[in-house]
Amino acid sequence: MVFPTKATGLSWTWTVLAGMVTFTPCGAALAGDASHKVAAGRLDAPTLTALIDQAIQARLSSEKVTPAPPADDAEFLRRAYLDITGVIPPADKVAAYLDSKQPDKRARLIDELLASPHYGRHMGDIWQELLLVQRDIFSRGLPAEPLADWFAQGFNSNKPWNQQVADLLTSTGTQQQNGATTLFLALRSRDKLTDTVCRAFLGIQLQCAQCHNHPFTTWKRTDYWGMAAFFAKVDDGAPAKLFKGLTPNVVEASTVRTKRLPDSALKSSPRFLGGQTPTLNSNDPYRPVLAQWLTSEQNPYFAKAMVNRVWAQFFGRGLVNPVDNLRDDNLPSHPELFDALARQFARSSFDVKYLVRAICSTQAYQRSSTATKESAEADVPYVSMTIKVMTPEQLFDSLATVLGPPEHPKKGGGKKAKAPSPVSRAGFVEFFRPGEGADQGAYPAGIPQVLQLMNSEWTAKISAFVNRTVRGDRSPARNNEILFLATLSRRPTAAESRRLEEYFQANSSNPTKAYSDIVWALVNSSEFTLNH
Amino acid sequence: MTNFRMAELSRRDFLRFTAAGAALTSMSGWFDLMAAHAAGSGVKHKSCILLWMEGGPSQKDTFDMKPGTKDAGEFQAIPTSVPGIQISEHFPKLARHMHHAAILRSMSTPEGAHARAKYYMHSGYREGVGGLTYPSLGAIASAELGREDFPLPNFVSVGKGAYGAGFLGSRHQPLIVTDTNRGVANLAPLDDLQQFGKRLGLLEDLETQFAQAKKAAVVSDHQTTYQRAVTLMRSREARAFDLSQEPAASRAAYGGTKFGDGCLLARRLVEVGIPFVEVFQGGWDTHTNNFPRVKELSREVDPAMSALITDLKDRGLLDSTLVIWMGEFGRHPKITSAKGPAGRQHYPRAWTTILMGGGIKGGQVIGKTDREGLDIVERKISGPDFLATVCQVLGIDYTKQNQTPVGRPIRIVENGAQPVMELFA
Repeated sequence: MVFPTKATGLSWTWTVLAGMVTFTPCGAALAGDASHKVAAGRLDAPTLTALIDQAIQARLSSEKVTPAPPADDAEFLRRAYLDITGVIPPADKVAAYLDSKQPDKRARLIDELLASPHYGRHMGDIWQELLLVQRDIFSRGLPAEPLADWFAQGFNSNKPWNQQVADLLTSTGTQQQNGATTLFLALRSRDKLTDTVCRAFLGIQLQCAQCHNHPFTTWKRTDYWGMAAFFAKVDDGAPAKLFKGLTPNVVEASTVRTKRLPDSALKSSPRFLGGQTPTLNSNDPYRPVLAQWLTSEQNPYFAKAMVNRVWAQFFGRGLVNPVDNLRDDNLPSHPELFDALARQFARSSFDVKYLVRAICSTQAYQRSSTATKESAEADVPYVSMTIKVMTPEQLFDSLATVLGPPEHPKKGGGKKAKAPSPVSRAGFVEFFRPGEGADQGAYPAGIPQVLQLMNSEWTAKISAFVNRTVRGDRSPARNNEILFLATLSRRPTAAESRRLEEYFQANSSNPTKAYSDIVWALVNSSEFTLNH
Repeated sequence: MTNFRMAELSRRDFLRFTAAGAALTSMSGWFDLMAAHAAGSGVKHKSCILLWMEGGPSQKDTFDMKPGTKDAGEFQAIPTSVPGIQISEHFPKLARHMHHAAILRSMSTPEGAHARAKYYMHSGYREGVGGLTYPSLGAIASAELGREDFPLPNFVSVGKGAYGAGFLGSRHQPLIVTDTNRGVANLAPLDDLQQFGKRLGLLEDLETQFAQAKKAAVVSDHQTTYQRAVTLMRSREARAFDLSQEPAASRAAYGGTKFGDGCLLARRLVEVGIPFVEVFQGGWDTHTNNFPRVKELSREVDPAMSALITDLKDRGLLDSTLVIWMGEFGRHPKITSAKGPAGRQHYPRAWTTILMGGGIKGGQVIGKTDREGLDIVERKISGPDFLATVCQVLGIDYTKQNQTPVGRPIRIVENGAQPVMELFA
């Protein structure tokens, strides 16, 4: 063993981190243990996992707080599925996993989920939502799926993150040719692009400095408009094309565009944040220069911003919180750990699956979200798992996993004139989208969304689901168990079983209705809609 | 162990869920608590109806007429119930109500792009400043005027989605009614009430166990939202959303248009105590075809707004209901024909809004623009000034600070705002 097996708290962590800081390229300090595969300054995933747990435990110990116990298999299964692939596990996978006796089944599950195409789609959904928040009204009709699909491909093939971002920033072509250009077709002014790029990829809220020097940081108006100038040559085609359903072509023009500048704009040549001016000729393209600087291993914000986002995706809060606000006066909960993770992420060639694997393998990630008396009172991060709210995409996909996708309403409605439900995935997501700036820990749905979940046409499909799932030759207890596995990804407790049996017996004259009532309650429960 | 509760509802054949009106025996005690509160206790707060004219209405062709000047346009100015005040000929009915109105002709704001200007006029803050999403006026009204246990949402948006609650949170998001004929979507359960009640009972049992185990705010938020939704389903007040309850003559008086129906719905909602209703009318962005379009839109607004004021007055609600007519900016005093039939471009430098009711001193014009309407010569009113004024009318302390989720204090209206004191006796 290279590292001590017993954690000695703070001192051990410091030793490891200090070791990494003074690390020599050929790994001399750690020579002698091939199994850790440490090479060229990079830690493998298991080592990174141990590092994370050590750092978290160190703080818990110093604050004398006992963490919550580990999550049981059902809790972990559902959480991992939702966090990595964006959807609850299908019913057939649940029992198989819960009953599996493989000692390393959690590690295998993580690998399986990372290899699933749903992983890429989930990440694509997240990044498309993140980047298009400020889309302008002209682009309302522009579909976001091409951008999500483009990201999905990149994440599934584990394209290095710096490469993905560079490709995104320098993208050209129509949306059909290159889904990444959706960014430039949706954010058609350089101030929106600057706000978005800085927030999403650097974790910096630069937008205050658009009009005046930032009140709380050192960013100035000149910084803002220097960065914005990198987008000065983006030509996204006339807006009229979007209205007419034509496909605009995004190109990097040879000269600077001057349209669509807000009143607050300052004339500026491109300048990196922090003041350096790149050497640019007047007909050089600007965006590749920005991309290179932004995604560089030397850029202190780039790796940190992504590490923080990925961390928040799994833990429900960033190491720096709020997630996109890396500032001197907004410190990470675990500063040395944050630095170490950023360094390792960069050294891994910005390997996202590596980062995800390391995080999901930690004890901290696999902690239960059930409150203990201590965890409820203690205000220390990661003492237990934070309960997260499902994103609209996760909710739609999870409901569809149970009920099948919603149907389009029939023409010439039935006796009840019901309002048209948002029946497409995009419509559902639009309807359930939480307000801007909402955090994952706050329940976002309002009355209209809840009414939809309780009473919409989609819930009529519950009986079809029941008919293909339950069997008359099975006991009600066994049927109820299957319904639980399909929705809550666990088996019912004895008390729950009894309650459901009572209910079934009292309503056994119409078994389909009885089981449908049970499923209705299950999919409307907080346990279903929350990611715990 | 929970006792099993049988469905005990008498079997009635309801044609419309909310038409029943009678209290229903609940299957679950938890939802009972919500239903137990009295329906529609006395309305003590003021209400606000925001008639949102999207696109930026041309002030020179509506309420700041400049007869005899260059580019005065195609419309005549007509006298109103207030000597000295003239408005466009296409508001003949509204002209008779001007003694209830204050016309603010000296609005001057910094945003000339639609999205930014709309955001600014709804929230009083510039988009993106401070990295926050600011609450719109409706959400502020919901938070400051709405009752916690009110069965209906405190902020309703009719015709289109409105700017939301921002950092004030999901409780104050608007309930959106896109189609006034259909009302609130999904208000009735798919099956009968009995079925629904049984399902609620099951749901409650599942919730209790989970909530006890997890003890997290997000779980109780989920439960609260469900409780509120069910309460809404069962409330008598929910009938306010049903326009078919209005006599045909009433709907005709409002003009029978989508906007007219929206105004009628707004009146009904204010009657049952909803503090803020926003009614949308699009189409005012008249870069081309300014005159035909403004005429058409004016003729839609005229009966709707007049009927609204009349109805509010008849019901003794005018003094407690502020009606706002505004868009995100005005339009250029100069006519342009560059891109086709005569139009006017955006113009936030000098434009007009209208306030009516709410107990203000009516029958007056505030502020003045110059001969052509290019600049303000008297009493400039900024966006924050305007919002501070609205807050003052509604009894909201515009200097109050709200906390963002990260604990940053943000004033309801920006520091330095001055309400238009001429409106108050």
